Amino acid sequence: MEYQDVSIEINNLIEDIKNRVLSGEISLLDIELVPIFENLKDSLNIYNINKYSNTYKNAFQLLSQKFEELKIFLEYLDNKDTFLNYVKKNPMDTEITELLENCWKEPFTLNTLSLRFLEYSKDRLVTKKSEPLKIESIDKIRLKENFLLEIYDKKFTEQMNAFFDSIKGKLPCSYEEIFNNEDDQLKIFECFIYLLHLLQLGKLKYQKETNFLYL
Amino acid sequence: MNELSVLIHLLSKKEDITIIGSTKKEILNALNVKDKNKSIYFQNLIINASNYLEPLGLQIRFNPLNSYWYLSFDSETTEIISANPFEGNPRLAATLFCTLICCISSSGETTIQKIIEIRKKKGVIEDIKELKNLGFVIFDKNLNKVRLTPLIGYLLDLEKLFLKIALKMKN
Repeated sequence: MEYQDVSIEINNLIEDIKNRVLSGEISLLDIELVPIFENLKDSLNIYNINKYSNTYKNAFQLLSQKFEELKIFLEYLDNKDTFLNYVKKNPMDTEITELLENCWKEPFTLNTLSLRFLEYSKDRLVTKKSEPLKIESIDKIRLKENFLLEIYDKKFTEQMNAFFDSIKGKLPCSYEEIFNNEDDQLKIFECFIYLLHLLQLGKLKYQKETNFLYL
Repeated sequence: MNELSVLIHLLSKKEDITIIGSTKKEILNALNVKDKNKSIYFQNLIINASNYLEPLGLQIRFNPLNSYWYLSFDSETTEIISANPFEGNPRLAATLFCTLICCISSSGETTIQKIIEIRKKKGVIEDIKELKNLGFVIFDKNLNKVRLTPLIGYLLDLEKLFLKIALKMKN
């Protein structure tokens, strides 16, 4: 534990306050004694306790004197004639204005702060607000597994146009010739869908009688 | 609805220019406090609410003229909003001050003659009439009596004012 002894310093301060009070320079009511006691309390330890007892005694004497002054002052305040004597001295308007300065205050009133309003506000505050509908775009996830309905990297139109470009050289040709080299049933089905769309769009034409596709 | 909300409402309500806030009895009734320790409960309630309101620049005050508890802006905020209702009219403020002292010295009621005698100025009756119109005094012309309304208790820190006078006289 750190050895700290501020007893001499505090004793000097107490002595100085006493002298200033006795000379009429200050009133004990104007002096804050709390810092003295705080300082004593904070620096007290087992090493300096012997020295501090006397300092505590001096500080409490000062506190006791302050209480006595306060009692006298309160008795003085209780005397209503004090105030009457002051106005009988006929103070100037400016002096009264100065006296009133810093004594004015402003009440806080709020007529809308009715119980009904508070209850309504509380209900609105605690009611769970419904979140507005939020549309989020779905991220395409690449998976290793194979699914029957696979999502392709390219858009449908791009796939269809790629198919159209691949068969354009063969045209005019029969419907069967388009799928001659394809064994995968799923691929044939996919290409058949492209064909139907191309026919619908008018990019390809089909002659039912000859079973031929042409541009 | 918690007790703090009820308390804030009761302290901030204004019935008319001279009635702001609520009495201790009204507050305890509104909160349905009936046990024998209700004064302690009330004290704790006021202290806790004061701590809650302090950061908002508000404080709970007591008007000794009508025993009402009410909300007021703290001194720092009051300085900003300039609360002096007699700004630029020190004469009227001085007449009100003399009326206040006369009323306090004679159990809450005084006479025009007494104020004229103390004030030692012409036009005191006109000042009293103006103070009546502003809601600060009640003036009974027939009985020649002047009484303060609770309004000055809301607008002036009487405790601080009397302390200042006492210190002035003591010095």
